[in-house]
Amino acid sequence: MSNRESVSIRSFRVLTGVFLITWLILPLIPLAIWSFAHGWFYPDLLPQTWSLRAWKYALSDTAGVIDSLWLTIGISLAATVLSILVGVPAGRALGMYKFRGKEIVELMILAPTIVPGIAVVLGIHSVFISLGLNNTVWGVILVHLIPTLPYMVLVMAGIFANYDPAFEAQARSLGASSLKTFWYVTLPAIRPGIIVGGLFAFLVSWSQYILTLLIGGGRVETLPLLLFNFATSGRNDITGAIGMIYILPGIVILLLTAKHLSGRSGAVGGFGQI
Amino acid sequence: MTHVSIKGLTKVYPGATEPSLDRLSLEIPTGELTALLGPSGCGKTTTMKMIAGLLEPTSGDVTFDGRSVLQDKPEDRGVVMVFQNYLLFPYMSVADNVGFGLKMRKIDPAEIKRRVGEMLELVKLPDLGDRKPIALSGGQQQRVALARALIVQPNVLLLDEPLSNLDAHLRFEMRDLIRSLQQEMGITTIFVTHDQEEAVVLADRVALILDGQMKQYDKPDVFYKRPVDEATARFFGGHNFINGMSDGQSFDSELGRLILPDNAASGIGKLTFRPENVRIGNAGDGTNSLKATIADVIYLGTQTRLKLRVGDTVLDAVVNPNEIETYGVGDTLPIHLPTSSLWVIQ
Amino acid sequence: MSDRMKIFLLILPAMFIIVVLFFGGLLIGLMRSFNYMPVIGLTEPDFSAYISVFTDKEFYLSFLLTFHIAFTSTVISSILAIGAALLLRRNFVGRRIVNFLFQLNLTVPHLVGAIGMLYLFSQSGSFARLANEFGMIQGPSDFPALVFDPYAIGIILQYVWKEIPFIGVIVLANMQSIGEDYESVARSLGASKWQTFRFVLLPLIFPGVLSASVMVFAFTFGAYEIPAILGANFPAALPVLAYRKYTDVDLAARPEAMAMAIVIALLSALMIYFYVRYSRRRIRG
Repeated sequence: MSNRESVSIRSFRVLTGVFLITWLILPLIPLAIWSFAHGWFYPDLLPQTWSLRAWKYALSDTAGVIDSLWLTIGISLAATVLSILVGVPAGRALGMYKFRGKEIVELMILAPTIVPGIAVVLGIHSVFISLGLNNTVWGVILVHLIPTLPYMVLVMAGIFANYDPAFEAQARSLGASSLKTFWYVTLPAIRPGIIVGGLFAFLVSWSQYILTLLIGGGRVETLPLLLFNFATSGRNDITGAIGMIYILPGIVILLLTAKHLSGRSGAVGGFGQI
Repeated sequence: MTHVSIKGLTKVYPGATEPSLDRLSLEIPTGELTALLGPSGCGKTTTMKMIAGLLEPTSGDVTFDGRSVLQDKPEDRGVVMVFQNYLLFPYMSVADNVGFGLKMRKIDPAEIKRRVGEMLELVKLPDLGDRKPIALSGGQQQRVALARALIVQPNVLLLDEPLSNLDAHLRFEMRDLIRSLQQEMGITTIFVTHDQEEAVVLADRVALILDGQMKQYDKPDVFYKRPVDEATARFFGGHNFINGMSDGQSFDSELGRLILPDNAASGIGKLTFRPENVRIGNAGDGTNSLKATIADVIYLGTQTRLKLRVGDTVLDAVVNPNEIETYGVGDTLPIHLPTSSLWVIQ
Repeated sequence: MSDRMKIFLLILPAMFIIVVLFFGGLLIGLMRSFNYMPVIGLTEPDFSAYISVFTDKEFYLSFLLTFHIAFTSTVISSILAIGAALLLRRNFVGRRIVNFLFQLNLTVPHLVGAIGMLYLFSQSGSFARLANEFGMIQGPSDFPALVFDPYAIGIILQYVWKEIPFIGVIVLANMQSIGEDYESVARSLGASKWQTFRFVLLPLIFPGVLSASVMVFAFTFGAYEIPAILGANFPAALPVLAYRKYTDVDLAARPEAMAMAIVIALLSALMIYFYVRYSRRRIRG
């Protein structure tokens, strides 16, 4: 493609870039400002008084914010780990083999990514009542699997589609046991997929609201539930602080795995080729 | 019908210390089939892209019929490129692919249909108009790509490694097709390849590019008879290089004194001759006769490769297997080097 | 072990979870919407819940509103995402920052963005205050209602904010794997930049855009927390209405909630159908 571009096109690009950058950060700014505000009234553009009291409250023992943080992390981690354990073998089957009914299986696994949670969770709720899984953490983890598992399988299927089983055959013929082969040959090759898929799964679970609300019954108070409550209560400063805390783990995970999310990664590209 | 002139074309990629292409100059007469030959990374694809307008040169000029085209956008230059992987638009039928260029020029659909039909006949794919590219073989896809390119009657046609993806027998078919179409339509054609056989079999003239520099631009046979330097000779499979001194008529070296052809260079240099020009036996008049000992014999089916020792020098020779049937490693035999097969490189 | 057995065992755990939890949940919801639950003694299926729902004006308003939200958000996001991907293909000053922010946006949950939008666009929000500062309005009520409004502008803005990066990342990855050579060919055959985009690039990226759009449509149709925070009370988005009915003190409202949930599920099934039908056919055809 010609690398010759007129000045007007180039400056259009830069302008659009600036606009995009502003637009992407914009909603987060008032949240951040609120968290440091001691009352911020109309029509002030910035708070008259600043204060750390929202943060002090949010980070205190009595507020339950930190507890909620750990709870949410725990639930999301558990859902992610379960998704990995179940999703890797499924991804292998779908990525490496052809079999009768494969398209139907793929569709069934894809369905939860399209059908909204509200359509499913009402039915589950009524059954969980009798199973005693309502208002429990495990009930919530189980129900989080519904949206997280498909993403894991999708990503792993993409990875396994590009994977050459000849490496395993080679290892076996050199005397390695099944377990060793998996550990030394398969795992390193599929690790990028596990990371990307796990990241997606974690984020999907992290941002769940209605599933946790219904199955958790308000007793399992994850961070999004807490945030929602404060947002509708009018305490914008605490909402701001909790909001900042809520987005933090996502940013940390992104920074740690930035290289795996670049556009050229086969895992991400897999989404466009369902 | 375009005369292509490339003057001092240079490309330095951003961040690079060396130019990928260094002052390439070339005059390609109208209607000729020219090969840009060289190993990967030598700059030939870069040159192609600059002719097509897909890349901007750092300096130099490209002119068509005397007019510089550097300011022209790719779609205005009339240069069509056929890529090595053909790049037929996958969701369009063969007919739609071929007619694409005409459709972009807003030509009447009935006229497009007629011309597409003609073109498909020319490339010998008359009934495949409705198929999708994915249903075609590699050779068929290439013909569609050619048809798509030729139908817009470009000023210049650029081909990227046109024969390298094909099996041996398809190569000759495609070679004949490309040559006949090109000559019939008189389109100036440049193709790029790393395979000297492909270059020699297809092109009117060959430009050899090594390390971003053009070494030699000649008809194919000249590269075998009169290579311009050792690197060029080696690229074409030349194997014998003997250091020594020439006085214009004869060459003194470890092999003794050998008679040179007319207009050979004089001074210090290397004598070179191709393995296939080494003759078994003595020449009628005894010119350039040597005694050689066979150091190694490699049977290649249609030829036999020999390593011959003359004094301290080892020569490579390629002969008909019948000629060497009765000889084995360690035997001595007379050989001679015809005058016309010798050349001095400096 | 035969291959068939291997495949079966590999997908068994995943299929088990999905069949039991997902399809099971749908099935139970379906049965309950018909008031049919033999296990607890309801053995007579009836349509009363559906009749209630389909004769309820609120339901239709809600459905239309939700459809409008989903459709508008999806169309705007898709178009702008293609534009963003075209922009990010080439290098320019600040490209790395935009790339990073795109990916950052993916990690920010919808809820946070929705709250941020609330603080920006409400009648006493940041933009209203800016307008006041520049003398454009006198008081909060002079600022147009962008949240809690009947056109769901705030909701759509929030979805667009999140979905442009989502679709954009997918489209960009798609474009990079397709490469630029097809476009080079088209250009050299005489196509202008616009013609090249319309006839060559767009068809090539279309399946990816379509599959992403289907996901976005379904999500924006069925999400709860964003309309709950940014939406008006009447008409409410369908998921909000369904939740309200389900948690109503009157237990008779529950089957109606289930019926609404089934409507939502049917609509997304329709989406899946369209997607499968249209995006797979184009290349194979």
